Amino acid sequence: MAETLVKKFVVTRFDPDKDEAPRTESYEVPCHPDWKVLDALNHIKDEIDGSLAHRWSCRMSVCGSCGMNVNGQPTLTCKKAVSDLPDTVEVTPLANFPVVRDLVVELDGFMEKLKSVKPWIIRAKEKAVEEGPMRQSQAELEEFKQFSMCINCMLCYAACPVVANEPEFLGPAAIALGHRYSVDSRDEGAAERNEIFRGEGTVFACSYANECSEVCPKHVDPAAAVNQAKFNAVIDWAAGLVLPRGGKE
Amino acid sequence: MKHLLLKIEPLIWLLFGQGILLGTILLTGWILVVNLGVPLGLISDDGLAFQRAHELGSSLVGRLVLAALCALPLWKGAHHMRHVSIDSGGAGRDAVVAPLLYGVAALGSLLAIAAVIRL
Ligand code: FES
Repeated sequence: MAETLVKKFVVTRFDPDKDEAPRTESYEVPCHPDWKVLDALNHIKDEIDGSLAHRWSCRMSVCGSCGMNVNGQPTLTCKKAVSDLPDTVEVTPLANFPVVRDLVVELDGFMEKLKSVKPWIIRAKEKAVEEGPMRQSQAELEEFKQFSMCINCMLCYAACPVVANEPEFLGPAAIALGHRYSVDSRDEGAAERNEIFRGEGTVFACSYANECSEVCPKHVDPAAAVNQAKFNAVIDWAAGLVLPRGGKE
Repeated sequence: MKHLLLKIEPLIWLLFGQGILLGTILLTGWILVVNLGVPLGLISDDGLAFQRAHELGSSLVGRLVLAALCALPLWKGAHHMRHVSIDSGGAGRDAVVAPLLYGVAALGSLLAIAAVIRL
């Protein structure tokens, strides 16, 4: 049997009913060499300290719920191998989010932002089923396919220096998911979204640090989406200045 | 102020984007030729003779290019510096920093336009 690696996990603990501020607790964890960080956290919860709270579900980088900061880096804990980490592993809740408890963060703010960009197909008039499917070419699919791979893990929010300073900024994932629909050939809602992109949580707040794309576990490249969204929002704004009725049909 | 900044953001970003384009492409070439190539004797300075440079610069296209070359990188710089300020924890002072930086860029742009008109 392969040897176990003993690692020291320094984990942030916070119980709002008891603690005034977050504190840390250390655990010696005998890790199987092919364990991921999430396996170690589950081991802590199952075998050492059942009071630890952390969120996870699929264990296969699909549900996006196990994001945490591991040694300061926003990480999907079910994807990160413990063997790739030093002997001491620091696990803290995802940065830039309010903490509910221990490693569990509050999602409401993100959900609100996501909803605000209308991440669904908007059509002036629904196409009747009898009229057949809406066909899409491979090239049209490629326009948005990459952005649709987002799993809402929010690592990009934890990595983004702008989110850290301007909490109202829509943020990488929400912009990428709104943009994903704006560039879908079946969608007719780009103008509506452009107005949202120019509004309170403006896309222009992005200073193109590119950190979001660096940490994205699904290679979505949200920074590209944000910059394409900026460009489209500018063109739409300029069209509004020179064309009658703001360029709207 | 915050509301006004939000309103003019697309315009600023347009100027900033064009500033990057010109700054990285044309200004780099300009610096390589005028500040390095010619002084080091790698490039002949015949093309920079006053008469020729003046003719080129004072044509309509020349004036437009010169004005853009002076003004747009100012917007790029101002916008970059504003974001450095915000990213280093200065979101609270943005209402002062942004108008100041954009003010300098606007003033510089006006001076550049005035200068190319007088060429
Ligand atoms: S547990 Fe689902 S992505 Fe990690």
